[in-house]
Amino acid sequence: MADDMGTRLSPALPGFENIKRAWHGTFETVAARLLPGQYFVTMRDEAIYTTLGSCISACIRDRMSGIGGMNHFMLPLSKEEISLKAGDISASARYGNYAMEHLINVILKNGGKRQNLEAKIFGGGRIITNMTDVGRRNIDFARDYLKTEGIEIASQDVGDIFPRMVVYFPKTGKVKVKRLRSLHNNTIAEQEIEYLSTIETKPVSGDIELF
Amino acid sequence: MNPVIEQMVKGVGGLVTLPDVFIRINQLVEDPDSTVEDIAKAINADPSFTARLLRVANSTFYSFPATVDTAARAATIIGTSQIRNLALSTSISRSFEKLPNTLVSMRNFWMHSLYCGLAARKLARMAGKCDVDAVFTAGLLHDIGELVIFNRIPEEARLALLLVQDSADELTIPEAEQEVMGFNHAEVGAELARHWKLPLMLQECIAYHHDVTKARHFPRENALVHIANILSLMAEVNTYNPDEVAQVDPLAWEITGLLADEVRQQVIEEARVEFIEAEQMFFGTGGQLNG
Repeated sequence: MADDMGTRLSPALPGFENIKRAWHGTFETVAARLLPGQYFVTMRDEAIYTTLGSCISACIRDRMSGIGGMNHFMLPLSKEEISLKAGDISASARYGNYAMEHLINVILKNGGKRQNLEAKIFGGGRIITNMTDVGRRNIDFARDYLKTEGIEIASQDVGDIFPRMVVYFPKTGKVKVKRLRSLHNNTIAEQEIEYLSTIETKPVSGDIELF
Repeated sequence: MNPVIEQMVKGVGGLVTLPDVFIRINQLVEDPDSTVEDIAKAINADPSFTARLLRVANSTFYSFPATVDTAARAATIIGTSQIRNLALSTSISRSFEKLPNTLVSMRNFWMHSLYCGLAARKLARMAGKCDVDAVFTAGLLHDIGELVIFNRIPEEARLALLLVQDSADELTIPEAEQEVMGFNHAEVGAELARHWKLPLMLQECIAYHHDVTKARHFPRENALVHIANILSLMAEVNTYNPDEVAQVDPLAWEITGLLADEVRQQVIEEARVEFIEAEQMFFGTGGQLNG
């Protein structure tokens, strides 16, 4: 990635200035790099990519106008809740709701139409064998959320034992998913655990703007 | 030679040692006056190696028509120089037990190595004109430099892996290592192989499995290991789509005379089938690869 292209990048939508973007030679476009807990929405022809272990990413776009984005989240662990529904108001479900609603709301705020939305979901792998299957909870939640919202899942690649690299092109809806070799398991798990520790100590504020 | 690498390999010298049985057999194979009986005696001195050897000799790995029940018979049928390879292959994971790391589980590391060995052996058989079992050993050992790096400079190793992920695979692992450390795992592995005085073929495959233009004496074997390394990545993530992994250097196909589209899927499929039995043979029942 050429850093010198950074100065020539067109500005991101307000609120996404902190997301790392750079020209990407292979994709032949500007690409935004998401870390756990982040999301990004764009109206331009650019790519969004991330690496997922047990976290999940929803890629959502307006299939008519091409505005769309991606999030990257996981539900914090809690002993009492085995499965979570989109409507749940528990603390951990709120993280999922927060991640999904912010993504959808920003798309709608910038001209996306609810009836045109399509979603693709990725991740939720079981990358550390001796851990409980947190990936599964994240998958179930994302599916349930989208079903409740009436947003069709156009495609998905979830579960199994692999970490994944996902590249999303909201303009066309195209996705490249690459399974990553186990050499990357621990560094990806480390990032996710670090993210988990920040959301567990920092509760979500309750004011989600609903459309 | 890079003094940092030399220092690093010296630093692990006391921790990672070649198995005694390999060193003894190696000396005997090199000694023109030694006999098959001498080698059988050296094998028998290590009962655990004897057991592993007989297990391999009687497995589908070789498919000999008759039962091989003694070390002497194994040495005769398999051949003394093959026994030397087996002594190395069946002990290598034990050699690295004292070199733990937090970046990759030993099971996952050796899983990739074993897939590479099996794929290399298969490719060698298809390509011909090379020592099939020696190429297996080369595949098994190709990444040993990683274990040294992960143990000695874990922070840099972690940064290199993050760089690969951050670049969305524009950077390969050796390129990222080069950027962070100024050298890569293949160079470190090569120094360890030199330090151990491993056969030149193994040294070259460990040193150049990412660069097929560099192996001067064993370009064919090295090209086979280069291809096997990529096919083993595909076996590992369970895909037949070559776009999902690093790219094979087209020169490697040219050197070996193999055609990518003709052999790729078959090699991956057969390596996956052989893996379970091979894992038991080379890493022991319920043993090495559980970690």
